[in-house]
Amino acid sequence: MQKLIIILVVLATSLLSAQSNYEKGMQKAFELWGSNNPIEAANMFERIANAEPDNWLPNYYAAQINIVNSFGLSDEKQLTAQLSKAQDLINDATAISKNNPEILVLQALLYTSWVAYDGATYGMTMSPKVVAIYTQAEQIDPQNPRVVYCKAEWGIGGAKYFGQDTKPFCKELERALELFANFKPETPFHPNWGEDRTKMLLESCK
Amino acid sequence: MKKGFIILIVLLSFKLSAQQLISGIVLNNNSEPIVGANVFLEGTYDGSSTDENGKFTFKTSETGTQTLIVSYISFETFSMIGDVTYMKDLTVKLREDVNTLDAVVLSAGTFQAGDNSKASVLKPLDVVTTASALGDFVGALQTLPGTTTVAEDGRLFVRGGEAEETQIFIDGIRVFTPYTPTTNNSPTRGRYSPFLFDGITFSTGGYSAEYGQALSSVLLLNTIDEPDQEKTDIGVMALGATLGNTQKWKTSSLSMNVSYINLAPYIAAFPDRNDWIKPYETASGEAVFRKKFNSGLLKLYTAFDITNFELTQEDINQTEGVHFKLKNNNLYFNGSYQGKLNDTWDVFGGMSFTHANNDLNISDMLINDTENAIHAKVTFKKRFSNRFKLNFGSEYFSSNFNEDYSDSSINDIVYDYNNNISAAFTEADIFLSKNVAFKSGLRLEYSELFNQFTLSPRLSLAYKTSKSSQLSLAYGDFYQNPSSNILKFNQNLKAQNTAHYILNYQFNANRKIFRAEAYFKDYKNLIKYDTDFAEFNSNFNNDGYGFAKGVDLFWRDSKTIKNIDYWVSYSFLDTKRDYLNYPSKKQPNFANTHNLSFVGKYWINDLRSQVGFSYAFATGRTYTNPNVTGFLNEKTKAYNNLSINWAYLISPQKILYASVNNVLGFKNINGYQYANVANGNGIFESRALKPAADQFFFVGFFWTISEDKKSNQLDNL
Repeated sequence: MQKLIIILVVLATSLLSAQSNYEKGMQKAFELWGSNNPIEAANMFERIANAEPDNWLPNYYAAQINIVNSFGLSDEKQLTAQLSKAQDLINDATAISKNNPEILVLQALLYTSWVAYDGATYGMTMSPKVVAIYTQAEQIDPQNPRVVYCKAEWGIGGAKYFGQDTKPFCKELERALELFANFKPETPFHPNWGEDRTKMLLESCK
Repeated sequence: MKKGFIILIVLLSFKLSAQQLISGIVLNNNSEPIVGANVFLEGTYDGSSTDENGKFTFKTSETGTQTLIVSYISFETFSMIGDVTYMKDLTVKLREDVNTLDAVVLSAGTFQAGDNSKASVLKPLDVVTTASALGDFVGALQTLPGTTTVAEDGRLFVRGGEAEETQIFIDGIRVFTPYTPTTNNSPTRGRYSPFLFDGITFSTGGYSAEYGQALSSVLLLNTIDEPDQEKTDIGVMALGATLGNTQKWKTSSLSMNVSYINLAPYIAAFPDRNDWIKPYETASGEAVFRKKFNSGLLKLYTAFDITNFELTQEDINQTEGVHFKLKNNNLYFNGSYQGKLNDTWDVFGGMSFTHANNDLNISDMLINDTENAIHAKVTFKKRFSNRFKLNFGSEYFSSNFNEDYSDSSINDIVYDYNNNISAAFTEADIFLSKNVAFKSGLRLEYSELFNQFTLSPRLSLAYKTSKSSQLSLAYGDFYQNPSSNILKFNQNLKAQNTAHYILNYQFNANRKIFRAEAYFKDYKNLIKYDTDFAEFNSNFNNDGYGFAKGVDLFWRDSKTIKNIDYWVSYSFLDTKRDYLNYPSKKQPNFANTHNLSFVGKYWINDLRSQVGFSYAFATGRTYTNPNVTGFLNEKTKAYNNLSINWAYLISPQKILYASVNNVLGFKNINGYQYANVANGNGIFESRALKPAADQFFFVGFFWTISEDKKSNQLDNL
């Protein structure tokens, strides 16, 4: 009986260590992010990026954390520092994976953060960039739900500003929701976010 | 056997967990802990973040020599190579990154317009949304301190310097003829459309050793590296029309812009003081081609324009007026390549070619002048570290001027000369810390025309006095050859010289900027001659001299009042010079003692409109009244101008724009012209030099056609 337990324990340990460092690291980083430790999560992703020079995902997530946390910042110094850090990470990710619609979406969100911080200053210069990036991402992968929903969300912002009809963008959101339903990430660690936000936005369409 | 296998596996797992502990603390320069720094062994998964006391501990199974990396936002990344067994209880001090937004900037003398630039006082949009500017970048810069109001000229007069003392560069390469010709009572405009540029640096003194042949100021314009998208811009104005198109390919892009302006309909509706025979007409075209390479960017820029007009201008000495006819052709080409040689070496190479031809007919004089000029430049930049950079390069200017002159008494005289200058320069940028930086450079020039070598040292330093304020100092020596008005008659001269001394204070926080700058300029070797005008029989020498000193103040606040953005500039200028035909040291007629400029913009969300105004005030300028003894002995009354504008976004891509210059109709006087001979009572009669029109209206409609259906030309206005 004791022998059996030892065998089981050893088996379990070896099974656990069969899980690669990469998987362990990514899981840990997502846990940190989930438990509201974004800085440590970003650090963890950066360390993984450092150890996995051919994988764009850790750079992608480190950049995403920096961008997501930049929304709502009021200190221009910190915003600049954080977004330039995010830009470096995006550049590293792009060097590994070119013309990647997921990375393009992040780039558009980075510019959107500037517009959100100060629309009067950055709106005119950054808006065309954002739209051009979404257009490019859509050409590469028209079925990517994040591209469709982020582009629609940007469009809703502009339409509301000009008092125009948001219906065509709401239709796009519905299409994005269908695309989410059928979307299968390449690996469990590939980007798979945005469905909740799309539902939330659709609520406000009604 | 089974047992042995199990033991082996257990032992192996033990071996794996026989790990080394790495620990320490991360501090900043003031020995305060840094929280959230990333600490790890390079190329491994082993690492951790620092806790609220700046401490870190983590285990590693790595052995032997490893690289420990510590990184944190806004600090320079630290790395340490050593055996892991020694990585215990480490104390790591991170140095602040000198490239962050709150680091010290070498700002003396310099104004920048850009998005994220640290020293930025204007945004790119300001160039085109300033009420008095009418879409001219030079007009927008005239609302900054250090410029003087010479309303009938329109060029940049900086800190007691003449307009020729300011040089304009596109992508680092000189523009020899930057302004379009006009009649002598209407201001000129910059030749180049502002929407091709995304960075403008305007230096009112103490600039880098990279720039020479400018006594007072340099204006650096950078063309856009990569346009955002393909689009077509259509503009219909009361004065003409513009059409622009941008095409993008994988690694290259092409932007083209053509415009046609004809003042005839406007003058028919609102006649001005000129007696036009053929109202002002100009056609121009510009194109920029950009191509990206793996580690570099090639830009080709070319601009062409034709201008013509004919009129009779009022003159006190000729009752029937002076007939004036002008035809101007201008071609400018500029090509540059900027690239990385490796991680620490950058290279830049560029050249420009200018061909400018003026065909003038002034009463009985026929003047045809042609200038062909070339500028070529190579620079290298070596980055030793974030804190030490070295810049060096060399350049060559070659210009040929040729003038054909005839009048009723002289038949066909030709003036022709070559003005070739070679130069070499080097400059070092040194950051001692985030709070102290300096730049020191040296420029050597050789003028073939004068067979003269000149050596100009440049130095600037900046010290951060608090979180949001800093002090800077700058000193420089500047040389410039005389202009073609002089050189066409005499080439046996020397370069003119100034020395600049500048003290600058800058406060920059929360989208509020305050700048105060005091300066002193010492002019030497200015050109003098002994006749009323520079002529073929004048005696020229380099004995002229002068000074300019003053204080420039600037305040901008985009924050305090919602949707309102405003700036105020004030300049005090005290300048005198003895040059040209001056009998003694006097305040020249292009200098005002006090200049005030106030620009405001208000964004009305509900109306989707931006309304703006700009007000300019300048004290009077000197002129000579021959009825009283002395030279430049009287001053005109003060200058006042209030301009307003309104931009309305009809839809995201359609804009209606209207502006009125001098809305209150101030009757400004630029100077006086006196009769050459006294009348019967022994008095020289005079005529006030007034602008062609007191007021000016502008209405335009701009439409952008692009994929995204969102961009517009607000940034072109």
